[in-house]
Amino acid sequence: MFAYITRRLLLWIPSVLLVMLGVYALAFYGAGDPIKLIFLRAPGDVAYDPVKVEAIREQAGLNQPFLVQFGNYIWNLLHGNFGNSLTSGRSVWAMISAAAPISLMLGLLAMLVTAVVAIPLGMIAGMNQNTRLDYSILGTAVTLWAIPAYVAGPLLMVALLAILPKGSVPYGWGGVFSVKIILPLLVLSFQPIALIVRQTRAAVIEVMTEDFVRTARAKGVPEHIVALRHILRPVLTPVITQLGLIMITIVNGAIFVELVFGLPGLGRLTVSALTNSDFPVILAITLIGSFLVMASNLLVDLLYPLLDPRASDAKGGR
Amino acid sequence: MSAVVEDKPNSLWRDAWRRLRRNKLAVAGLIIIAALVFVAAFGPWLTPYDFLSQDLDARNLAPSLAHPFGTDDLGRDVLSRLIYGARTAFLVAVIVTLVALLIGVVLGAIAGFYGGFFDKALMWVTDMTMSVPQLLLVVVINASLKQPITLWMEARYMETMNPIYRNSALIDFVLVFGSMALISWPPYARLVRAQVLSIRNRPYVTAARALGLTNRIILMRYVMPNAMGSLIVAVSAGLGTAMVLESAFSFLGIGVNPPTPSWGNMISDGLRVWTNYPHLLLAPAAVLAVVTVAFNFLGDGLNDALNPKGQK
Repeated sequence: MFAYITRRLLLWIPSVLLVMLGVYALAFYGAGDPIKLIFLRAPGDVAYDPVKVEAIREQAGLNQPFLVQFGNYIWNLLHGNFGNSLTSGRSVWAMISAAAPISLMLGLLAMLVTAVVAIPLGMIAGMNQNTRLDYSILGTAVTLWAIPAYVAGPLLMVALLAILPKGSVPYGWGGVFSVKIILPLLVLSFQPIALIVRQTRAAVIEVMTEDFVRTARAKGVPEHIVALRHILRPVLTPVITQLGLIMITIVNGAIFVELVFGLPGLGRLTVSALTNSDFPVILAITLIGSFLVMASNLLVDLLYPLLDPRASDAKGGR
Repeated sequence: MSAVVEDKPNSLWRDAWRRLRRNKLAVAGLIIIAALVFVAAFGPWLTPYDFLSQDLDARNLAPSLAHPFGTDDLGRDVLSRLIYGARTAFLVAVIVTLVALLIGVVLGAIAGFYGGFFDKALMWVTDMTMSVPQLLLVVVINASLKQPITLWMEARYMETMNPIYRNSALIDFVLVFGSMALISWPPYARLVRAQVLSIRNRPYVTAARALGLTNRIILMRYVMPNAMGSLIVAVSAGLGTAMVLESAFSFLGIGVNPPTPSWGNMISDGLRVWTNYPHLLLAPAAVLAVVTVAFNFLGDGLNDALNPKGQK
C-alpha cells in the first residue's frame, strides 16, 4: 500500500512538471515580447528607447534562455510568487487570491449539490430501469448535460425575468448565504449532476444483477435497506473515480457561470486577462486549473484501493 | 443507408439502422440535425435578409411577421443571422472533427497495433492533454498562436499581395480550427487504440497473419473496419461537442469575431441587453440548446444501435 502511494506520487510529479513546461512553452514562444507591454504602461516617458528596453529586459531576466526562465518560474512558483501582471503591474498572486475564494466556494458547493442530488436520482433511475420514471430522469440528465452553462444561465435568467419584478433578477456576488448564489450554483451543477446520474444509474444496473443483491431480496430484506446497504456501497466506487472529470466540468463551467452572472471569480479574471493578452495571469490560472484536475485524479488513484480492496492487490503486486 | 444494403438482408448496418429507427429520441435528433445541415447548406437562399444589412430605423424590434425572431441593436434580422450562424457552427464542427479524427485515428491505430515506446509516449501525451481543463488549454493555445499566425499572414500578404491574407475572418477560422483540433484528437486516439488492442489478437487477425499478409493490409482490411462502430458513435458526439466549443469560444470573444455571425457571439451580444430585449438572448440560446440536445440524443441512439452488446 505504502509503496503504491509512493510510486503514484513519483509518477505524478513529472507529469505535473511536463504540463507546466508545455503551457509555459506555448506562452513563451507565442506571446510576443512582454517588454513592449511592460514598457507601454511605464509612467511618463512612452518613447521607445532601446537602451531602456534592454535594461528592463535584463532586470526582468527575459534575456536568459528558455529553460533557465522556466526554471526560475517554477522556483518562484514554489515560493508562492506568480510574477506580475503585464497590464496592471499588480502581483498575480494577489489578483488570484482575491478572486479564488469565490470560485472555490462556488465549486465546492456545486460538488456538494451534485453529490446530494445526483446519487439518489441515479439510484432511483437504476432501480426502476426502463420505467417511465427512469426515462424521465435519464432524459433530463441528457438534456442538462447537453446544454452549456452560457445557454442554461441566460435562459433561466430570461425565464425568471418573466416571473420576478424588474430589477430583482439575481446578478453579482453576495456571498455564500445570499439568494443570488442559487442560480449560478444551479447552472454550475447541471452538467456534473447529469454526469453522475448517468454514472450511478449504469453502476446500479450492473450491481443489481449480483448474487448478493438477489440473496438479500430472497431473505426478505426491505427494498430501501437493500438499496442503502447492499447497492450503494459498490456503486460509489465507480462514481468516485469520476472526480477528475467533474473537476474539469466545474472548472470549465465556472468560466461561463461567472461571466453570465457577473461573479468576480477566477473565471472572469481569465477572460479579462485573455482580452489583454496578460500572459502571467493566463499561465497561472491554467496551471492552477490543471493542478486541480491532476490532483483529483491522483486522489482517486490513492483512494481507489481503500474503496475496493481487490484493486490494491492487483496494483500493489504489479 | 438502407438502399445501399438492400441485397444484404442481415448486415451489421441494416440491423443498426433498424435499431436506430425504433429509438424515437434518436430519430428526433436525426431529423433536427438533417434540418440543420439543410439550413447550413442552403443558407444564402433561405435567409429573408442579408445578415449584415443594417436597418437603423428597425432596431431591437420584437418578433413579428416581417422579422420572425426580431432584429438586433443594429437593425439586423436575427433569423438571417441565426441561419448564417448555423453555417459557421457546421463548418467549424465538420472541419475540426475531420482534422481531429485524422490525427487521432492514425496515431491511435499505430500505437495500438505496434505498441512499444510510441504507444507509451502517445498515452502519456493524451493523458496530459486530457488533464488540462479544455477551455483553459484553448485559451492558452489561442492567445499564443494568434500573433504568429497574424504575422505570418501579413508576411504572405506582403509577398503575394493577395488580399485573402488580409481577411481577418480567415485568421479567426484558422485559429479556431487549429486550437480546437489540437485539443480534440486525444479522445479519438485513445478510442482507436483501445479498439485496435482488443481486435488485434482475435482469431481472424491471427489467421490473416498466418496467411502472410503484411501489417498494413491487416490493419486496413481487418482491424480498422471492425473499429468503425465505436468510431461513428464518437464522431457523432464529437460533432456536437465541436459545435458547442465553437460557440463557447465565440461567446468568450476568442473564436469567430463579429460581424461574422456565430451563435456564441450572438449569445454574448444578447447578454448585454437581455433585460430590455430578452428575445435577442433567447433566440440563439434556444437554437444552440436544441441542436446540442439533438446531437446527444442521436449519439446515445447510435451507441445503442451500433454496440448492442453493451445493452442489457
